[in-house]
Amino acid sequence: MTKRGPDEKKPSLSDLRGRIARVREREAAEANRQGRASLSGGGVVLRVGIEMAGTLAVGVAIGWGLDRWLGTGPWLMVVFLFLGGAAGVLNVYRAVSNIGLAPGYRFPGADDKSGDGEGDQKGKSG
Amino acid sequence: MASPLQQFEIKTIAAANIGGVNVSFTNSSLFMVIAITAITAFLLLGVRKRALVPGRLQSMAELMYEFVAGLVRDNVGSAGRAYFPFIFSLFMFILFCNTIGLIPYTFTVTSHIIVTFALAIVVFIGVTIVGIAKHGMKWFSYFFPPGAPIYMAPLLVPIEVLSYLARPVTLALRLFANMMAGHTMLKVFAGFVIALGVAGVAPLAILIALYMLELIVAVLQAFVFAILTCLYLHDALHLH
Repeated sequence: MTKRGPDEKKPSLSDLRGRIARVREREAAEANRQGRASLSGGGVVLRVGIEMAGTLAVGVAIGWGLDRWLGTGPWLMVVFLFLGGAAGVLNVYRAVSNIGLAPGYRFPGADDKSGDGEGDQKGKSG
Repeated sequence: MASPLQQFEIKTIAAANIGGVNVSFTNSSLFMVIAITAITAFLLLGVRKRALVPGRLQSMAELMYEFVAGLVRDNVGSAGRAYFPFIFSLFMFILFCNTIGLIPYTFTVTSHIIVTFALAIVVFIGVTIVGIAKHGMKWFSYFFPPGAPIYMAPLLVPIEVLSYLARPVTLALRLFANMMAGHTMLKVFAGFVIALGVAGVAPLAILIALYMLELIVAVLQAFVFAILTCLYLHDALHLH
């Protein structure tokens, strides 16, 4: 009896430590996901609109500026209008798919700040 | 009835002109000073006692600190710890400017696009310098998605560069548009309250609901600004 007491306690303590670690991990993951969700949930429509219009405006402004500088009529502005539109769609896609407005494609597996499985899940929930 | 846009008017308090540049102290400057004083007072008074069991004010100060620390840790990673002071200052400044602006008779600094654009361009230039300093010429590979065929470069690179250059604009526009639209809407409904007499109870009820919404927007936009800065910093530090 006296010998079995500590023997029984030891596995249960390490078991408890493991359970606490698991719960903490889950809570951290949950908090992380909630943070992301509130960002994408807050005024998504306005955000997407601003992303689209802002990028398009930057494209047109650059085209207009280059036209004035090089004197190439309206042509560069037309080209940059379409490029700006494409960049705007790209930014919107990145904003809503929760990759995070980053230039360059980021694959879930290449994300180093979280596990690849979790990154995948985040991408889908967005 | 006053115009709903009158609240955004810049009034000069002390005129000053240095070398042909107008550097007058305006109501906008005044409320920036008030915001910074409020932040300093809040944090200094909060940590003055340094109690092991924090009081109310210390709890609030610690909560702010830990919130931003968590934001940086989750979105930038451990490499972002060096940039915590910058992101914390940015978040607190925008948060205090937004919320102080909601007090009647005050001025909302962040409802002017030049202020938000100045903040955004500082973030943009800073993040670009961090990226180039850390990765050198490799940083420019940022603008070409890995795995894309090389003959697509003439189309993809301009799009990626434009998408990158649009960052400060959309960052500034988001904060500015939210603050300006919200404050204009508040003033429009406030005007209805007086104009409708007894029936003004209805717009008054809407006004209260709108005010609550604006309070959420004020905090949320400070958070969005900070989190996007974190994401941009993450991209600069880790590329893709």
